[in-house]
Amino acid sequence: MKAFAAAIIAAIALGVLAMYALTSNQTFAYQAFATSGARVSEPGVNLVGPKWNGLPVLGEANDAAHGKAEGEASHPKRS
Amino acid sequence: MIAALAGFFLWRGRILTDDTQESGKKILRFNGFERFAHWMTATCFIILSLSGLNYIFGKRLLMPLIGPEAFGALAQWAKYSHVYLAWPFMLGVVIMVGLWLKDNIPNRIDWAWIKAGGGFIGHGHPHAERFNAGQKGVFWMVAGFGAAMGVTGLMMLFPFALLDINGMQVMQVIHSLIGVVFIVGILAHIYIGTLGMKGAYDAMGSGEVDLAWARAHHDLWVEEQQAKTASGPQFTGRHPAPAE
Repeated sequence: MKAFAAAIIAAIALGVLAMYALTSNQTFAYQAFATSGARVSEPGVNLVGPKWNGLPVLGEANDAAHGKAEGEASHPKRS
Repeated sequence: MIAALAGFFLWRGRILTDDTQESGKKILRFNGFERFAHWMTATCFIILSLSGLNYIFGKRLLMPLIGPEAFGALAQWAKYSHVYLAWPFMLGVVIMVGLWLKDNIPNRIDWAWIKAGGGFIGHGHPHAERFNAGQKGVFWMVAGFGAAMGVTGLMMLFPFALLDINGMQVMQVIHSLIGVVFIVGILAHIYIGTLGMKGAYDAMGSGEVDLAWARAHHDLWVEEQQAKTASGPQFTGRHPAPAE
């Protein structure tokens, strides 16, 4: 039982250590993999803008980033 | 696999050990550090298995049952545990390989054990050293699959460090496929170490097993241990050499 309890404690302790070690070296994807062409997940500057709501329809939510869309809105097909 | 094990249990029943004059006496099978390494690896493996299965099947199987909000919280914690507990798991595998490698080198005794059905078929117990051929199979499965899961996992944990996106996708597929086979193998290991064989759990529970059990399942190891101990009975030459 002592060996089992020690194993659980050690597993948690090593897990916490791993958490701190990994987190200290972690960067956001837009920082780590940024290119001059496209930036992913950088709020406010990325292609979809800060108010993107995830809906696959062009409309008011994207106005801040792209301006008012002109003409008839497209209707992307859902896969 | 669980159904197969249940079917086997119904067919074979629990593997028992006949009482002898040595029943009741204890012999140390695994010391405290060996049990520590085993249980650290085992507990991490269980959490890694469940959280890993959640990556693949959780959205389709679990989310309809518990709802998206509970699933979201659970999946996030599962992801954390998978990434962080992978480290003590990898360390545990390395320690166990270091501890038990010398006792898990295959030899002719293992072949005789396999030919005799390993005690699963019939009621005899073929000769075995500290680990029989089945246990050696588990050891090499853990060593090989553990290494493979560690390497493929690290490739995903550190994206683009060594591989491009295609390489990481390949690693993900290998990680998933080996993971499923690994879980199946460990389920069989858990079965035989608990329900399937009377007395087997004590080896990793208290570390001590009944001497009659040890004599039945690991007779050559018992003789080796007793030959080392001045107070214990010496080698009796009761059994013929297993390779003969």
